Amino acid sequence: MNDVTSIANGDPWVDTANGTVSREIFVSEDVFCLELDRIFHRLWIFLAHETEIPNRGDYVVRTMGRVPVIVVREASGEVRVLLNSCRHRGTKLCRGEAGNARHFVCPYHGWSYALDGGLISTSYDEHLPADMDKADWGLVPAPKVESYKGLVFAAWDPGVSQLRDYLGDIAWYLDTLFWRTPGGMEVLAPPHRWRARANWKIGSLNFIGDGQHVATTHAGPSTLNRLHSKKAGFFVRGGESFQVVTDEGHGCTLTYLAPGMPEGNYLTHPPALRDAYAEVLSARQISMMHHLRVMVGNVFPNLSFIENQVALGEKAVLIRQWQPISGTETEVLSWVLAEREASAEYKDRALKHGFHNFGAGGVFEQDDLELWASATQASDNPIAQRFPFSFHSSLPFDSAPIENARGPGRAYKPSNTEVAQLAFMRRWDAAMQPGD
Amino acid sequence: MDDERGIATVSDAAFLEVQRLLNREAALLDRRDYAAWFDLLTEDVKYVVTARVSRPAETGPLDYAIIDEDADTLRLRVLQIGDPKLTRAENPPTLTRRFVSNLEVEAAGPPNDYAAHTNLLVYRQRGTAPDGDFYAGRRRDLLRRDRGSLRIADRLVRLDHNVLFDGSLSIVL
Repeated sequence: MNDVTSIANGDPWVDTANGTVSREIFVSEDVFCLELDRIFHRLWIFLAHETEIPNRGDYVVRTMGRVPVIVVREASGEVRVLLNSCRHRGTKLCRGEAGNARHFVCPYHGWSYALDGGLISTSYDEHLPADMDKADWGLVPAPKVESYKGLVFAAWDPGVSQLRDYLGDIAWYLDTLFWRTPGGMEVLAPPHRWRARANWKIGSLNFIGDGQHVATTHAGPSTLNRLHSKKAGFFVRGGESFQVVTDEGHGCTLTYLAPGMPEGNYLTHPPALRDAYAEVLSARQISMMHHLRVMVGNVFPNLSFIENQVALGEKAVLIRQWQPISGTETEVLSWVLAEREASAEYKDRALKHGFHNFGAGGVFEQDDLELWASATQASDNPIAQRFPFSFHSSLPFDSAPIENARGPGRAYKPSNTEVAQLAFMRRWDAAMQPGD
Repeated sequence: MDDERGIATVSDAAFLEVQRLLNREAALLDRRDYAAWFDLLTEDVKYVVTARVSRPAETGPLDYAIIDEDADTLRLRVLQIGDPKLTRAENPPTLTRRFVSNLEVEAAGPPNDYAAHTNLLVYRQRGTAPDGDFYAGRRRDLLRRDRGSLRIADRLVRLDHNVLFDGSLSIVL
């Protein structure tokens, strides 16, 4: 039994022994406020990809929980994360989503700041008392900012561990998506953004390991792509698959092509790029990628990733973020990436495949979103909250990892149990404890 | 042709022909009669929907595609939303009402091919939600004479949206 329990009826939020999770944590504003405190305003949170801000002064505006920030490449080339709020009266310095600036000037009273956040002028510096030190009145910087393979993260708790340590074994899998050629990956377009009328955790759970929803929720694209692929003379059949769980509640699901399938998946990468993989990745990582049809996963708390092959050759790498707005609302951001060295034609194709399936108009996305909204609506009442969600199909497998022959992390079979989802909830529960 | 500088006027007859086509098309989509709707498209149709990145005026606006389909992928998309067994987002069907207005028509390419610019407002109501939502945007259609009739060959919908309000776009605009 945990210290932190349901506000409504005293049951634990996460009961790993019995495989249940309270519905309350998927709707409650009180739980949401605690999550901001203990997760989003504390742990490493993904913000942007380096290639969104390639040049000095380039910035994007993002949110960490409730905290609006500017992610800017300053003069030295370093990425800074600054609270997007003037120190004088709080006005946002950047009111759009993206741009390029030489400095940030507040539109209200004219306070101006350098790209590194330092206060340049209040417009009325001659009226300031002699003992006011302008160095103390720069834009508030996030104390921790680090990148891993192009992925920029920040944290508001200066005591968090190094990002690389926080990522742990999941980094090995992230490498194969986000830095597999000498040039790394690049974002192909601005992120799609849409609102989901659902709690952010539903998205993270869906990506970390929810093999059970694919056949029912996504009957549309599954069925149509099968017909489509048959017409094209190739049907992408899944084979071996398993889930991987790593420390800190990160995890992913890997699905391979069925034995005897053409080497379609790996071979659909352009040959020039395939050769480049060996320059950057280990032989074991390349062997893991070989015949891999889908890798989908989540970095705790709200950074998801997927490389999926829906039909032959239709492959794209996506970053997905579940940005919490309230207990029952989430802003979803979705980026499509490709190897920097890839041809313009390949990038164009990857972008189209990427958001045909997963994006603001994605044929997969649209069905998920409607069902998550309905689960949220149906759970947002005290009667429903007496009855927790079932995570039972994790229990027979949770204590029995298999040998992970492909890579690091604890592996579990089959892939369509809820072991990875339970691992996410276990980590969430630990993060929510007062002493964690 | 995506911008609308110097739109040349066409004859009233041509204007009416275009207006008739777009009105009929809107009615078919509101009725979810996708088979009849497909018949109004050329076989090599392109369909693109963009959203906008909010940026400072000095930097200028940036539109980016959220949907970019050729005839094949458009067909897959529409087969999905048109089949109750294959869609969750559109079953029960959302109610839609399309308002297509502010039509401007210009001559484009071969005689009797046109570019049509319209404002689009779509009201959409989902399930038992107490209120509906709107999609708004400017549409640019390239219309081509094909198999004896004027048909839609290329559609660009520039949505006046930054963050899409509710999940994923599951209707045709």
